Amino acid sequence: MVLTIIGHPVSTCTRRVKTALYEKGVEFNLQVIDWPGGEHRTEAHLQKQPFGQVPVLIEEDGFILYESRAISRYIAAKYANQGTKLLPDPSDLKAVALFEQAASVELADFDPPASGLAYEKIIKPRTGLTTDEKRVQTLNETLKSKLDGYERILSKHKYLAGEELTLVDLFHLPYAATTELLAPELYESHPKVHAWYKELKERPSWKKANEGL
Amino acid sequence: MIRIRWVLELTRLILEIIGADMSTCTRRVKVVLYEKGVDFVIKPIDWATGEHKSEAHLSKQPFGQIPVLEDDGFILFESRAIGRYIAAKYADQGTKLLPNPEDLRAVALLEQAACIEQSDFEPNVGGIAMEKVFNPFKGIATDEARFKKHVETFGTKLDGYERILSKQKYLAGDELTVVDLWHLPHGEIAEKYAPEVFEAHPKFNAWWQSLKNRSSWIKANEKGNLL
Repeated sequence: MVLTIIGHPVSTCTRRVKTALYEKGVEFNLQVIDWPGGEHRTEAHLQKQPFGQVPVLIEEDGFILYESRAISRYIAAKYANQGTKLLPDPSDLKAVALFEQAASVELADFDPPASGLAYEKIIKPRTGLTTDEKRVQTLNETLKSKLDGYERILSKHKYLAGEELTLVDLFHLPYAATTELLAPELYESHPKVHAWYKELKERPSWKKANEGL
Repeated sequence: MIRIRWVLELTRLILEIIGADMSTCTRRVKVVLYEKGVDFVIKPIDWATGEHKSEAHLSKQPFGQIPVLEDDGFILFESRAIGRYIAAKYADQGTKLLPNPEDLRAVALLEQAACIEQSDFEPNVGGIAMEKVFNPFKGIATDEARFKKHVETFGTKLDGYERILSKQKYLAGDELTVVDLWHLPHGEIAEKYAPEVFEAHPKFNAWWQSLKNRSSWIKANEKGNLL
């Protein structure tokens, strides 16, 4: 029963899913989408992913799921009994709540400025657009202030949802990596965050997800 | 003595939300509490004196934000996490707002919808709200170019919503979930400033109108909203 991931090796969101799959030891086929050819905008793709994005999971019986974090959560739950434990016990309502708190923080506080910086400084130059330096400054300031919050959290416990690693820590990797490239001083000024990130990026699953890039 | 203890017991049973009645994120929690028929009190925060930046508040909410739930000593922040916790803890009362946790695929489709709301809907309606409500409130002029860009992107994302809501009644399937309700606070601001985008997407608009008219949302707005 091999599942298919429609995606692309360089895509941050595809690598987010690949990391979860490797942590759980789940086999998959990567079906590479023809992005330059506009395959993501075809009717065939929009039927599966109505926003024209990747990745998309397709299971052997035809079940379709998109959004990298939803796919990763599904894998972590379906294969709960193998590989790394990545989710809290579903019957522990408070542990689940703290996991969801961390998951919301990642999406609301970290992802917007970190991915925004990556868009301005990596994607735009690559696609012939001009970096908006004023926006870069704003994004840097926002990310710095959000990392102040992260520093508080990681001074209280080892990982974002508590003392154990969860999927939410791994969700940060793609844009934590670009932040290391684009604004390393932010890590220097936030030592707990830096230590947490340094440990995460050494995980074999993340290294494997980035193989060849 | 017995009466005093009864009062103490009763107050511990009432959830406390540190927040503000009119705040979008506080109302995102209030709507869930009303759907589940759960008693709560709002503990207002003194924004004017910077209470949200005080050490006391930061030790509960490290980003200096509201709302924060205090449930008999358990502290939780992020309006969506609070909503999920309420919906799970009080699963057996009020409106059903989460799928059966054993149904992994139904849960996956909820999580897919939750990601869509936070990644595709929120940045654009949040951006519209920032330009037209929050920035002016802080004395910052609306950046009309940024507002226009948010409206444009919002329209593109609603094309995706239109596809989904042409196939099913709600965002995660045919049943209402917490995720549908999360769209309300910033969505209503976006509707005020970009109504044409709503009208251009009829399936989305029908779903939207039905949510807006839920008594839980009308009640959540009773003490004022930002329109």
